[in-house]
Amino acid sequence: MTQLHLPADRTHEQHRLENRYPGIWRASQLAHDMAATIHTGYIALNQELPNAGWPLGQLIEILIAQFGTAELNLLMPALKRLDHRPVALLAPPHIPFASAYQQDAAEAVSLLWIAGTKHSDHLWSAEQILKNGSCGALLLWQKQIKTEVLRRLHLLAQKSQTLFFVIRPMQAAQSPSPAVLRIALTPKASGMQINILKRRGASNEAPLFLYTNDHPYLSSRVIEPLRQSVPDSPLGLSRQDQQKQTSIF
Amino acid sequence: MKLRADTGESTWIAVHLPLIELEAFIPCWQHGLRSSAIVVLKQNRVIAMSHTAMVAGVRVGMRRGGVQMLLSDVDFFTQDNTRETAALSAIALALLRYTPQVSFAEEASILLDIGASIRLFGGLPSLRRLVRSTVKSLGYSPTIGCAPTAKTAWLFARNAARIGRLGQSCLRTTHISAATDRLSVDLLIAAASSHDLLQGLACHSLADLKALPRAGLQRRCGKSLLAELDLAYSSRSTPQIWIVAAPEFCARIELPDRSDSTETLFTYSRSLLSQLLGWLHAHQFAVKQLRLELQHERGRQAVAPSVLDIDLAVASWQESNLLPLLKEKISLLRLPGPVISLVLKAPETVTRALASDSLFPETVTNPADHQHLLGLLVARLGAAQVLRPCSQEDHRPEFANQWISVMEPSVSTHSKESSVTPLTILRPRWLLAQAIVLEVRRHKPYLDSELTLISPAERIEAGWWTDQTQVRDYFVAVSADHIRYWIYRERSSHRNNAAPAWFLHGIFG
Repeated sequence: MTQLHLPADRTHEQHRLENRYPGIWRASQLAHDMAATIHTGYIALNQELPNAGWPLGQLIEILIAQFGTAELNLLMPALKRLDHRPVALLAPPHIPFASAYQQDAAEAVSLLWIAGTKHSDHLWSAEQILKNGSCGALLLWQKQIKTEVLRRLHLLAQKSQTLFFVIRPMQAAQSPSPAVLRIALTPKASGMQINILKRRGASNEAPLFLYTNDHPYLSSRVIEPLRQSVPDSPLGLSRQDQQKQTSIF
Repeated sequence: MKLRADTGESTWIAVHLPLIELEAFIPCWQHGLRSSAIVVLKQNRVIAMSHTAMVAGVRVGMRRGGVQMLLSDVDFFTQDNTRETAALSAIALALLRYTPQVSFAEEASILLDIGASIRLFGGLPSLRRLVRSTVKSLGYSPTIGCAPTAKTAWLFARNAARIGRLGQSCLRTTHISAATDRLSVDLLIAAASSHDLLQGLACHSLADLKALPRAGLQRRCGKSLLAELDLAYSSRSTPQIWIVAAPEFCARIELPDRSDSTETLFTYSRSLLSQLLGWLHAHQFAVKQLRLELQHERGRQAVAPSVLDIDLAVASWQESNLLPLLKEKISLLRLPGPVISLVLKAPETVTRALASDSLFPETVTNPADHQHLLGLLVARLGAAQVLRPCSQEDHRPEFANQWISVMEPSVSTHSKESSVTPLTILRPRWLLAQAIVLEVRRHKPYLDSELTLISPAERIEAGWWTDQTQVRDYFVAVSADHIRYWIYRERSSHRNNAAPAWFLHGIFG
């Protein structure tokens, strides 16, 4: 908040310095480095993530109270940006409805559904997919997973360029995890609410609200924000986010 | 067999197998694991023994009785020339991976002209390591000599075995003569007959032998010793007879003990796979199907061998693809009894399709890699567990959303393109395997909380031409915790059944 009271020229000076020396990092800022990321599809979320996107080749945890209720709403925009590389759904909670992922031919997501029944088979499959690296993204749903196993998967992911999400129940927030990014996700009336539990850089306790306009049916009650949303983003910002955006500098 | 003259500068690797008499029976990885000592006899005299036997005091030249006095727990084998020849052929075949120029040499040795392969395999030290690990994977412990000529490399490999080292190499032409000088006379084959004479002359090293007058040496020891000595110092190699791989691949290995543990079987089948890789390289083939036959011990009745067929999605010739596949297949194997021998065949091969590499590292991975991944996943999980979508043109969601095994050939592309649903039709991302009956409270469907309908009905009436007629109205409903469900109302054709039946069929999210 102190930065808001700085004289304008001093803020300008800071910007100039940061542009000139990209290596400068302030403790109040998000971490930034040269690691590859992929656009999340949500401008508000990008602003809260190091390097402005989902990191590739890192373990990312999504915590959700009930599997299958919001996680793909959050991840679909990123999965569509994988240049048609296959997306592996490992041990998903229900049957994926393929046509819902392929509604637009230009942005169709090619799916690979790995069912399996045994926990050890799931982990083995995840290991093989990460080792092989031919899949663009790997989504693994697991209710119970040990920290050692997560660490091992994280190490494997770091050798690949795969977008790797582990979806876990909300209770897992209590246990430690090697994930570089942990996100708690709650479905809301016209979108979803995100709490970033862990990220590289300064933490942000405030929840973030993402508005999804995936279909007129599903947002029929909130047509107004749809019209107000920023035109450059396919998935606009909510009013809260717009306020937030203006408050930065 | 082809005879080809050696030309120009070259580098040779000689692989010598000092323990071949022993390892033809028991592979090197078994030596430490066995409790009993192993002794190989030739004409009732010891010619080779395991480390355990050596520690107990067994020496070359002892009789069977003498060994039995020293050791109670000992396995005797009689030296078998056919086994040793087969072993050498197997190793030579496996080494065809590194160069097409492989030939046999005297005293259980194999010569490789690797001058053209050094860069491909990342330098000489790395190539030497690869050769060593390949020979080890077949169950033999090699000593390796490296030199600019075949004879010197061969002398170095045998010298290393003699002084108990893993290998010896000298590639600089200025140093090679000095290194050869220090070698023992006993390493020359022609010197064996005149061993006592040379010892009596205090002629121990090749330098001593070179210093002797040639005319007298030829009179006493014959022409062949001089010829071999000249060859050792020569800067040229004699022409070699290169090994040519057989047109069909069939490798067999006998297990020293009956075994049914998958790990043991995997270790042995790995040695067969090494040979296959060499064979594939020699012919520039890629393998499409592998067949591993596991032969069982014959009891009162003959037991048919268990056959393990491994079909590859994409023909491959790389160890990194074949080895994990073989491992998974073997671990899933159910055997009727212990196995006594393994046979590996390659019934289906194709000519290798070589793709040119691009100058810059590619970000998009090779589609063949993805096929290998699918093959591996199917090998462990089963074809029914690894699926890809195959959407059908049907209004009924269960029938539209079909998933087929990735191993099934893809249907023609035009049906795939037309199956893309227009954006206006809303479908959830998840479909329940079995629709759940919902309670009705206050005339509304209820699931943990009251569900509110937020969409107009989508009527699906289809399947009247089959038994599975569906007459349903689909709605999107929201629960109190903002989860959007896809529910339907069964429209009963019977007038008297008035109560609407609600079902949960999908989840948006």
